[in-house]
Amino acid sequence: MSNFKETSGYQIIQNWMEEKGNTPFSFQHQTWERYANNFSGMVVAPTGFGKTFSVFLAVVIDYLNYPENYKKGLKLIWISPLRSLAKDLAKAMTTAVEEIGLDWEIAVRNGDTPTNIRRKQERSMPDILLTTPETLHLLFSQKRNSRWFKNVNCIAVDEWHELLGSKRGVLTELAIARIRNLSTKTRIWGITATIGNLEEAKNVLIPYDVKTTMIRAKEKKNIDIISLLPDQVEELSWAGHLGKTMSSKIIPIIYENTTTLIFTNTRNQSELWYQIIIEEEPDLIGQIAIHHGSIDKKQRNFIEDAISNGMLKAVVCTSSLDLGVDFKPVDCVIQIGSAKGIARFMQRAGRSGHSPFERSKIYAVPTHSLQLIEVAAVKEAVKQNEIENRNPFVLTYDVLVQFLVTLAVGEGFKPEETYQLINKIHAFYYLTKEEFNWCIHFITKGGNTLNAYEEFHKVVVDDDGFYRVKSRRIAMMHRMNIGVIVSEAMLMVKFFSGGYIGMIEEYFVSKLKKGDAFVLGGRVLEMKQIKDMKVLVKRSKKKKAITPSWLGGRLPLTSYLTHFLRLKLSDALTPNNREKELKFLHPLLNNQHINSHIPNHDEFLVEMIETKEGFHLFAYPFEGRLVHEIMASLIAYRISQIAKRTFTIAVNDYGFELLSDQEIPLNEENINPIFSKENLIQDVTASINASEMASRKFRDIAVVAGLVIQTQPGNKKTSKSLQSSSGLIFRVLEDYEPDNLLLKQAYNEVFDYELEKVRLQAAFKRISESKIILKNAQNFTPLSFPLKVDSLRGTMSNEDLSKRIERIQKQALKDLK
Amino acid sequence: MIYKMHIVSKKITCKDAVLEITNQRVIFWEAQKSLILSDLHIGKAAHFQKSGIPIPKNVLTTDLERLKQLILHFKAENLIIVGDLFHAAYNKDLDEFKAWLIQFPYIKIRLIKGNHDRLSNAIYQQFNMEVFKTELTINSLKFVHDAVEKPTNSFIISGHIHPGVFIKGRGKQRIKLPCFQVTENQLILPAFSLFTGLNTRQSLQKCKNFAFTNDGIFEV
Repeated sequence: MSNFKETSGYQIIQNWMEEKGNTPFSFQHQTWERYANNFSGMVVAPTGFGKTFSVFLAVVIDYLNYPENYKKGLKLIWISPLRSLAKDLAKAMTTAVEEIGLDWEIAVRNGDTPTNIRRKQERSMPDILLTTPETLHLLFSQKRNSRWFKNVNCIAVDEWHELLGSKRGVLTELAIARIRNLSTKTRIWGITATIGNLEEAKNVLIPYDVKTTMIRAKEKKNIDIISLLPDQVEELSWAGHLGKTMSSKIIPIIYENTTTLIFTNTRNQSELWYQIIIEEEPDLIGQIAIHHGSIDKKQRNFIEDAISNGMLKAVVCTSSLDLGVDFKPVDCVIQIGSAKGIARFMQRAGRSGHSPFERSKIYAVPTHSLQLIEVAAVKEAVKQNEIENRNPFVLTYDVLVQFLVTLAVGEGFKPEETYQLINKIHAFYYLTKEEFNWCIHFITKGGNTLNAYEEFHKVVVDDDGFYRVKSRRIAMMHRMNIGVIVSEAMLMVKFFSGGYIGMIEEYFVSKLKKGDAFVLGGRVLEMKQIKDMKVLVKRSKKKKAITPSWLGGRLPLTSYLTHFLRLKLSDALTPNNREKELKFLHPLLNNQHINSHIPNHDEFLVEMIETKEGFHLFAYPFEGRLVHEIMASLIAYRISQIAKRTFTIAVNDYGFELLSDQEIPLNEENINPIFSKENLIQDVTASINASEMASRKFRDIAVVAGLVIQTQPGNKKTSKSLQSSSGLIFRVLEDYEPDNLLLKQAYNEVFDYELEKVRLQAAFKRISESKIILKNAQNFTPLSFPLKVDSLRGTMSNEDLSKRIERIQKQALKDLK
Repeated sequence: MIYKMHIVSKKITCKDAVLEITNQRVIFWEAQKSLILSDLHIGKAAHFQKSGIPIPKNVLTTDLERLKQLILHFKAENLIIVGDLFHAAYNKDLDEFKAWLIQFPYIKIRLIKGNHDRLSNAIYQQFNMEVFKTELTINSLKFVHDAVEKPTNSFIISGHIHPGVFIKGRGKQRIKLPCFQVTENQLILPAFSLFTGLNTRQSLQKCKNFAFTNDGIFEV
């Protein structure tokens, strides 16, 4: 210990910090020392405590002590999930090295980097490169790229928790594996916020046989959670999106604070809330902005700068501002509706009161009554410090196929060496040789042996045994498609006169007619014309306009949150004095209690209601909407084993509904076997339309593996004859090539992520240990109403298609009469 | 994937012609011993393959087998193809089609060119077919690829848009199926190739949709 403190590198940094009036946090100090002792590792620290400077300065100190170990060119590669972070980080690092007196060059490279700067970097790489996983893979697709990665001393992965639970995490694992192959001594360091599975996160990042360590900051962010209650419980609708009545409560909060971030869950809601707020308080126009992923990038940058400069009172935003640059003036956060998870709720809260010793302040605004129980649940979870896991992806054949083609476009690869390389990383640890060979076959022959196609020449084997892409066109198409973020087909929205407003989904545009008014970026626009993937609009004076519904934003509640939710509901009728949310809800819960029942934590409630729509069955497992979708199909399947039925299924985060046009044969006698945990997986497999779900999952896989060419918004469709939908390709592959690994992956993803198999089994185990309560209600109850009006729907049927159509038709005719 | 087809048809009258629309994506015009079809997109799979997108090649084989069964079933002697016979540039799929054609020396093919049919005339000659640049009129029926203009006094038969329709039932049930769209003086054919998507945007007014499944055809 004392040794390290005596090194000149440490002294220089220590003096530099002292001059600036800073003392290092103990976790920073610890990181520097461990790095000096040749450890790789992971730093766990909340934002705002200088976690960047833990790893960055560790490299600087080590360089100052042992300059001979550092060669010309790239020394530190800094991977972060967000482009926007890089610019500010680079600025901070540049200031630091200048003040310390190093001549290091620090540069950013990502999708926004201009071509001339990229070319310059390729001629002479900086000492530190801040980049994204996608951009690294793009570098791998360049000719003679390994010369850049020969002497990398450290790879740092910032916000690793953000990358871990997505396929971008796999891209990161692959990038590290390749760089480490070229610079064998490189140290790997991750920086993460607290998550439930830190140990696993570290092992995924560093699966190699090196010394590793985990450094946890003791510093903790204090959060104040305040729920915003309406004046009376009736004011808050039982269901519905908005809770518009709450706007009058929000305005004073905006005025009381310097800058407030108002988080909504979807772009749609952010547009609506922006309108609501400026209607309620027109004085805020000019001081309030709207920020989401579909708004023009320049506009977004402008807004972000305006927040930093303290020019805005409030910004209505989506997860687009979950991460990113710290905004000093932000001292208050408002969360509208459910944040869906504890980690996300805390992340958003942490956007306010950013400096180390300030408190974060978050107001929770429920959009329907039951969400108040959720607020109580979040509070409890935060109190007990329970946070969700981020689960890493494995065996993502689509990413592997993309990576192999990337290598083939770049310097070419030899299969055996490449297999050794990828087999070490977490994502492909269980990849068999057969599966690997299939992937090779897929990119060289275009499918299984029977279907090998003589005109397919994507990747070819050269005389020297290297696999390469020869066609410039294929190489170009591949480079444009590198990455794993698959977006909906989007169209640019522009004024006739030229200004660019943002993007909307093709799906939404297809429903617009000429002259229709819609809202985007807080403006009411009139659609005039669609041309070359562009929607041309002019300002509209119409008062009424449609808000685009962007797909996405349909995250389920996490299992941690639902656990606390059940606990809170169970003691809802007897809240303790400090739980004002539950006390406030009392009249509504009493209604539920009188007309039906409030399930205790060891009970499971099922309600049967008959209306003119048909026969409804409502059940409330409180397990999040994904699990409910599966449960609903399963229960529908089991009931239809008793009598043939077609059900319409509706789900939300609290429960599910089965609706049938015929009576549902469920009663006290058969309810236990119907909700039984026996034969669970067999029945699930028989009940769900796995093929349809897999087809949905296949959408992303098809794009990542290069089966579907994405059209960039704003570009003309250059390859029109290559347009196809992933659904179509899925169908064709199912018919002709059922053993295709990408299909298998789609089904695996259905079982692992869509069905949440583990969570489903746990849920049925819990139900089987609960007392099942069956109630007949005369009318919709507070619990069932949200399901009726505000939910996602699907169909489950065991009747054959023609019969179903016949019956639907008969009904439709009858309904007409 | 080659199966015995279940062919169901339904007779409709268009001006003075009696046409049999089928659940197998073709029309049979008995008076002319003709099968009318659209959007075969031959060469699409190979075109994808050539661009490095692996599509199973028996996609075309199945389409051709289906067409063969239809020709034999209806004892057809003519094919009237209202466009998009070939998807893109000349490739191996077209050779397969050429070889397939040999078994039907008596069949007369007439093609009204579609937006995808951009090969040189010399190539079409190799297939021994009669090619019409924009339209073909037989009796009161006028065949075009994409019916842009309003029909005047003739009955227009076209393809191009790959029509599909949503069937809605009580309890918000929805199913998407391919269909024929028929009005008083116009008919739009579904795409014949199974390697095509569906367009559910309704473009015609006062239009009857005849949707179909593997074993039935019905009006929606």
